[in-house]
Amino acid sequence: MKPGPVRSSSRSGLLLAVVAVSLLSLLPLITLVKGVLLSSGDQPPGLGYDGLSQVQSTLLLVAGEGVLGAVVGTAIGWLTASCRFPGRRWLRIAQLVPMAFPAYLLAASLVDWGSYRGLQIHGLNWAVVLLSLANYSYVFLLSTESFSVSGSRLLEASRSLGVGPWASFFRIALPIALPSIGAGVALSAMEVVNELGAVRLLGVPSLSAGILDRWQVDGDPQGAALLALVALAIVAVLIVSERMLRRRSRRWNLEGVGGDEHFWPLAGWRATLAQLFCALPPLAAVTIPALWIHEGWRGLRSESLSELLQLASRSLGLAFAATGVTCLGALLLAISHRWLPKPWLQQLTFVAGLGYAIPGSVLALGLMVFGGPLNLAPVLLLLWAYGDRFMAVSKQGLDAALERISPSIDETATSLGCDWLSVLKRVHLPLLRGPLLVGSLLVFVDVVKELPITLALRPFDYDTLAVRVFQYASDERVGAAMAPALLIMLFGLAASLALIPSLERRG
Amino acid sequence: MTRHNPINSGVRVGITALAAYVLSGAVGAASLAKNPLQQVNVYSGRHYNTDKQLYAEFTRRTGIKVNLLEGKDDELIQRLKSEGNNGKADLLVLVDAARLYRAQEENLFRPIRSAQLNKDVPANLRDPGGRWFALTRRARPVMVNTAQVKPNLIRTYADLTRSELRGKLCLRNRASVYSQSLVADELVRRGAPATRKWVEGLVANKNGSFYTSDTTMVRAVGQGQCGVTIANQYYLARMLRGDNAADREAAKKVQVIWPTPTHVNVTAGGVTRSSSNPEAARRLLEFLASPTSGEGYAGANNEYPLKGWGNNPTLKAFGTFKASPVSIEQLGRRNREAVQLMTQAGWQ
Repeated sequence: MKPGPVRSSSRSGLLLAVVAVSLLSLLPLITLVKGVLLSSGDQPPGLGYDGLSQVQSTLLLVAGEGVLGAVVGTAIGWLTASCRFPGRRWLRIAQLVPMAFPAYLLAASLVDWGSYRGLQIHGLNWAVVLLSLANYSYVFLLSTESFSVSGSRLLEASRSLGVGPWASFFRIALPIALPSIGAGVALSAMEVVNELGAVRLLGVPSLSAGILDRWQVDGDPQGAALLALVALAIVAVLIVSERMLRRRSRRWNLEGVGGDEHFWPLAGWRATLAQLFCALPPLAAVTIPALWIHEGWRGLRSESLSELLQLASRSLGLAFAATGVTCLGALLLAISHRWLPKPWLQQLTFVAGLGYAIPGSVLALGLMVFGGPLNLAPVLLLLWAYGDRFMAVSKQGLDAALERISPSIDETATSLGCDWLSVLKRVHLPLLRGPLLVGSLLVFVDVVKELPITLALRPFDYDTLAVRVFQYASDERVGAAMAPALLIMLFGLAASLALIPSLERRG
Repeated sequence: MTRHNPINSGVRVGITALAAYVLSGAVGAASLAKNPLQQVNVYSGRHYNTDKQLYAEFTRRTGIKVNLLEGKDDELIQRLKSEGNNGKADLLVLVDAARLYRAQEENLFRPIRSAQLNKDVPANLRDPGGRWFALTRRARPVMVNTAQVKPNLIRTYADLTRSELRGKLCLRNRASVYSQSLVADELVRRGAPATRKWVEGLVANKNGSFYTSDTTMVRAVGQGQCGVTIANQYYLARMLRGDNAADREAAKKVQVIWPTPTHVNVTAGGVTRSSSNPEAARRLLEFLASPTSGEGYAGANNEYPLKGWGNNPTLKAFGTFKASPVSIEQLGRRNREAVQLMTQAGWQ
């Protein structure tokens, strides 16, 4: 049943806003496609010599990271949400730590550290491990939220019927959490398709590098577009399969959180194993840069404190502004599904959410081509690109959370005369506070870490921390890159730690 | 649910302030346009803090303010290209011959006449049409660990394919423009068939996977994982002069061999076609290419000045070399062919 047609005039305002947001996020893509269609390359379009290996290794990366990230993220999500063992609370918080470390920094520090030890850190396997480490938190966050919130009563019931911990995980908790796990895996897989810095450093061929090289180095925009289409196809498959998972297991959480009695207590070797399993990934994420810093701290060459402060304030300012823009857009798109169930609109917002799938550097290219001739302010283009790129981060969580809010709530509110805006204010926003906060912080951390868009679109004399790290690192001056890199990790950590209350409330 | 949480409103004030700060960046950029004659905008593919001191010195002497945007060379080319007639940069500074050639082919530079630039920049290091001029030189010598490889085995790049070096050669990946320009240099000097054989020989002698940075490669030679490599001279100089004791020790075990002739690449700059202030851009270019400031521009990165060997004691200790006669323009022209040849030979 759909909410009734109350005050449709205000709903057309929502329609207008949603269409505007969708078009804005599609514009860079449209510009690119148009540019490709109009330009004539001097080579016939084709995947080319490198194309096949780039597609292959991107698929392997997505699959490898998807499996590893899903297993680690889900297992830790379940252990820390549904079991009880010493140190659980701290270990739960620790899962936020890896989010603070951008994959390119992990790769750079590991490669550099290894080279001092005579180890050549290189190739696909390392890339899978590092990218899983950098991205499994998405799966953890979304799955643990689902494990804690949903179905606790069902678990209690199953337990009283004599179902053991493994069976209750596989037969009840996992199916309920599948949409969230799927959303997490889809998000992390999109990060992998996008990854540029880490895979370049590890010498792994990738679609994202291929797109850029085709375009900028080979002067072959059609070849680049072809590769971009392959990347989009991979992500579209991911998103569609995630949707199907979600549809299959659609359930609404009608009850509140149950009491403490539905936890599985762990003791002895089981507790130790759980502790080890939960501690390993965050420990690895901290250890890699720590070893690197230990190796090179004598080479630490910092710019003046005021320079660092300026870089930091630009990074933070951009991150705050981008978070606001992004989350507002995501919220509009997410609730539009409930109020405007028109198939064409759903398709439009679906395509609009694909911005996350486009490598940042390609998105930047699109906005350059679009904004350059119009003489638009670079900061405007920058925020636009961030919004486009990260909307999905915020939207995925909101979509999953909205699925759990029964439509009967909306129906009741509507029948009492509320329009979409007041339902949003009085019902949805309070219920969505958790996912909205999680989404905002994820976007914030992502923007602070973001490199290709910032590098390509920023105005004159407007360096950020990530840009400075890139500049030093690309000149292979690791010592000089350390101070701004440390600040990025620090901000990432601070933002991740701000997620603690939302975890605590449930844990 | 908390409605009026003091923390929330504090966050809100903070966000507003920061958003205002971000937007002030846009306003600041707009205010640049007010007095266009007194400033020059630079897009630069170089990223050295000491460059900024040099720009400040230029401002002190001429009163012309320098606005800087550093980025990746290919992206800066793309940005300038898409800005078209609204191009924001007056001067485009790029590293490596292939990128210069690409920017030239995209018609991004405007030809300029300057007797001073013609005097300060040797003819093979500038565009014959006056579109770009080199500012510093960098060389790509052979480096060996003498405990593993006898230095007298190698007199030219061709010697690197000798069977004695099987499994001892560490190579930078194909994506690196340094590798590409080296192969282009061979293509110009020795022709395609000989270069193809040479590249295949290098790949056959390779040790481990292709490296993604010169520093890790030089380090591997110093530590003995590799016997020999080809790397830009400034990476070794930087390790020797750096603060990291392990790197200094490793670097001391590395000996530079200058093949005859040695491949040389450049940083170069050109006035942009869309420049609204080409006069100021030309003056900045002349300033950067002049022997006195050229020394500073090169010194920052342990590079060589346009003429002679400079005063850098570490570079002097490396000795001197006979530079390849191949012009930068030729290197750029043959880049695509070089990359194709490397790809076919399995250079990843």
